[in-house]
Amino acid sequence: MTTEIVCILPCNGLDKSLGVITREVSLQVIEKKSDVQLICPVLLNNGDERYETLIQTAKIIIINGCMTRCPTKLIEKRNLKPFKQILIPDMFKKYKVKSAKTLILNEENIKLAELIADEIITDLNKSNQEKDNAIREFQEQEFFDITVDKYYFTVPKDGYFFNENDCWIKPERNTALLGITDYLQNAAADILFVDLPELGCKIEQFGDIGSFESSKTILQLISPGSGKIIAVNKSLEQNPEYLNQDPYRKGWFVEIELDNFEEDKELLMNGSEYFDYMKNKIMKEKNHLDQINDERDV
Amino acid sequence: MSKSYDADKETFMGAPRNKIPWWPTIDYEKCNFCMECDKFCPHNVYAKTDNEKQLLNVKNPYNCVVFCRACAKTCAPDALTFPVKSEISKLIKKLRSQ
Repeated sequence: MTTEIVCILPCNGLDKSLGVITREVSLQVIEKKSDVQLICPVLLNNGDERYETLIQTAKIIIINGCMTRCPTKLIEKRNLKPFKQILIPDMFKKYKVKSAKTLILNEENIKLAELIADEIITDLNKSNQEKDNAIREFQEQEFFDITVDKYYFTVPKDGYFFNENDCWIKPERNTALLGITDYLQNAAADILFVDLPELGCKIEQFGDIGSFESSKTILQLISPGSGKIIAVNKSLEQNPEYLNQDPYRKGWFVEIELDNFEEDKELLMNGSEYFDYMKNKIMKEKNHLDQINDERDV
Repeated sequence: MSKSYDADKETFMGAPRNKIPWWPTIDYEKCNFCMECDKFCPHNVYAKTDNEKQLLNVKNPYNCVVFCRACAKTCAPDALTFPVKSEISKLIKKLRSQ
């Protein structure tokens, strides 16, 4: 599962067997990993607008057929850094295969293309796993806060959006982190178990992303956004207390690749709006509890 | 924390709560009246009844938190269903625009 958009850019030089192998490698990769996008080097060289936009944010894999390294030059020219570069002659040495030097690939060259494609996919998966396990870096954040009785509630002032189900989304370009609010973790009390979703699942806005169990209840995380799950915070399985201690940062739940955040935003609140909504909810609950206590005392 | 709502006054995401048909439906063919959902729900959505064939009912549908289906997790015979979320969110958008 990719954590970002991944593109593969072969040299596709059709007049040399090395170029034909780069084409075969790319086709094998997209056959095995359908979310990888193939870039035509000729069209990119012509300044195709769609490709120009795509490569700005994507992970780029370059397959060079020979030392001319045409696709590398196309990327370097745009001041971008590829995720991985492959040079086919190096691969002949690495996998101890002889080049047939024919434009129609023989069995051995097709096998080599398969090995290179598998290597690329392994590297992609490894990199995503590393990202899944990595602790996200968060900038210093200012919070709205309120204390009610012995409870302290915070809401980030900027960068986060909220639904009325007390879950947050923090968009960043085409991806977003999601989690629960301080209100929800306070309501849940000590969280003991989390049930994280599978990578790659598609979720709709307000769909169930996962659940968590505390000493007093089971709660669901109801998604503020729609998209595909590209990372989950595995550290919560060992440290569910992160949800209580730091719900807006270390307690992030999942990361999604956004479908259409502009549309999702129509049904979300910003920090200031959610803070007002939360205060209202807390006060209603407090009044209700006070009423019950008063009735009990009478 | 149980509480009662005045559905005529309550809103959800800016839409009147009493216009949003979100609450559980009990399949009485499956329900074994274990009452786990009633014990679980902090919003008094369910209530016990004297009707022998339907010992449980949805007494306060508008108390149900829109999009919450947590009680369904407690239901071993899988007797609780909810509306389709995407249809409800479409309806909320429509209600907000009115």
